[in-house]
Amino acid sequence: MSEAPGTHRPQAPVHTPLHAPLAYRLRWRPEGVFPGAHPGHGEGMEGEFRRLVPLLRQPDPRRLDLRASLRDPFGDLHVRQFAPRRAVAVAALVDVSGSMRFGEAVRGRVADLCGLLALSAVRSGDSFALFSCDAHLREEASLPLARRRGLEEEVRQRLMAVRPQGRGTAGLMEATERLPARRSLVFLVSDFLMPLDELDRLLDALWRHDVIPVRVADSALEDALPRWGLIEIADLESGASRLVFMRPGLRERWQMRAREHRAALAHSFARRGLRDFELHDRLDHEALARRLLEG
Amino acid sequence: MNAAAGMAASLTRDWGVDQPLLLLLLALALLPWAATPFVRRGIASIRLVPDDVLSRLLGLGLRLAGSIAIAAIALGLAGLHQREQAITRQGTGAHLVLLLDRSSSMDNSFADRAPSGDQEAKSVVAKRLLVDFIGRRPRDRIGVAAFSTSPMPILPLTDHHDVVRAAINAIDRPGLAFTDVGRGLALALDSFADDANESSRAILLVSDGAALIDRRVQEALRDAVIRTPVHLYWLFLRSRGSKGIFDTPPPGEDTPQANPERHLHLFLQSLGVPYQAFEATSPQAVERAIAEIDRQETRPIAYVERVPRRDFAHTAFAVAAVAIAVLLAAKLGERALTRVTPHGQAGGGQANGGQAGAGRTGATPVRRAA
Repeated sequence: MSEAPGTHRPQAPVHTPLHAPLAYRLRWRPEGVFPGAHPGHGEGMEGEFRRLVPLLRQPDPRRLDLRASLRDPFGDLHVRQFAPRRAVAVAALVDVSGSMRFGEAVRGRVADLCGLLALSAVRSGDSFALFSCDAHLREEASLPLARRRGLEEEVRQRLMAVRPQGRGTAGLMEATERLPARRSLVFLVSDFLMPLDELDRLLDALWRHDVIPVRVADSALEDALPRWGLIEIADLESGASRLVFMRPGLRERWQMRAREHRAALAHSFARRGLRDFELHDRLDHEALARRLLEG
Repeated sequence: MNAAAGMAASLTRDWGVDQPLLLLLLALALLPWAATPFVRRGIASIRLVPDDVLSRLLGLGLRLAGSIAIAAIALGLAGLHQREQAITRQGTGAHLVLLLDRSSSMDNSFADRAPSGDQEAKSVVAKRLLVDFIGRRPRDRIGVAAFSTSPMPILPLTDHHDVVRAAINAIDRPGLAFTDVGRGLALALDSFADDANESSRAILLVSDGAALIDRRVQEALRDAVIRTPVHLYWLFLRSRGSKGIFDTPPPGEDTPQANPERHLHLFLQSLGVPYQAFEATSPQAVERAIAEIDRQETRPIAYVERVPRRDFAHTAFAVAAVAIAVLLAAKLGERALTRVTPHGQAGGGQANGGQAGAGRTGATPVRRAA
């Protein structure tokens, strides 16, 4: 008998309208050929203005900037140069190992988050892929890169249907091989309770991509631990159970260990120039929008 | 393996149960090691929970308490008891055979008349004194034999002094005709035959007369005495007018036919075993003689004490009750993983709502396979 505490609030029906799509900005220029919304590499015809160049350097009189040419005291002719607008692949790597059952995270906020990401990606012309992984890649809860309409609903339904189980996060490594070869935007959604060296290997495998780690956490747990009492805790992944005699000292140590783990994670991310986004008890759209616009 | 078998054998020798089949329930005592009385609270990673010696000890203790409770109940239901036991102890005493004369002359008083007034019959005196005697010697194993026309085995050597007392109490019943000391002695010696003990053995012959011992019986007695060395005591209840055993009669009258008592005395002396004769002419003299025997027969003896069966079912249930009380206390001390926060119930901000939701649902167990 076990219990998943922090069960999410009454399940939102599948057809509640999703939030408005969020805009996101990349701090790098995507390569690729598909037209999209992000300023990419190379020279384009339209889109984000980049600079003025002499006509001789880019002999394209259609982009002649009359005002700049007239203002030039030397009488040179200037041509506007634009960054090409490119699409980028957005992928969500979702950890659905047993530990993610805690607080019904996958069904609730993770599904919300991925739905919102899919919607945002599709609306801005990007393709979106979903990979759910435990010890292996879970095909039934994954979607290949696509940009069709209604993708967000599919993503949500797949995540609602998946039952987190299994141990380990080896599937995430499998999923990295399925990511596009070009640099893409990767949301790594996990509770990051795997051993740190495993996490390091995973992040190393994702070196090519722009990774946004999304840490699924339950803020209620550490603060709401009882001061006194007996708790039989059972690991949702391994099933190992243990009796814990709670007392203020132990509670303190428990919280300290959680803080230490968080600090170690943050350090591990910072070494790679990453910063995690904390997905607490429910999806906070404002915070996510802010985070995405920061790039 | 042998040690285990030996231990099991010693256990079953000393301990027993009324309903052995119920011992199968003991297998249930393994249950607490597979299941837990607590609601298992799923947690994302057990590695984040600090390892705690006290918690581990407590968990172990509670599992043990569960096992003990179940095992104790099973043992109690099966009716655990300690078997009746015979414990060999060391004490002082002897193996004693009382050889009593049941000839009719024992019913007379010391004056050799039918008892009247304050005069007691010799058998009554002997009975009273012998009962006193064995009352003072609680560690002795005592057998009783009687003789008259023929020997009568009454009691083998036994620890049950109540039975001995009853046998002695019966000697003042009206007696029979004659006195056949020789075969009586042979019978008394026989009762030591299967007594392999190293303790001191004694035969207390109580009679008021003697008769001629057949030559063949004499030979048999000599043989028997060599086989089983005993101490011999003869308490001769001498009636007034009868001849003493120590008196030397005038020459010519010193024949076994004329003085059977004296010649029995001589014969017993010639057996080559410690022998003592007491000639008692009055109840007081009998008392002195018995005190003397009492004094002499105090050698170390290994005696067997019986410990009656002791029931341990109640103890088992008491142990189970204690263990269950411990478990109950632990169960009452059980908490959910998250406290219900009162301010969250009021539904304040968004974060508070989430926290309250976690706390509330944390308190209600959801059945899920781990």
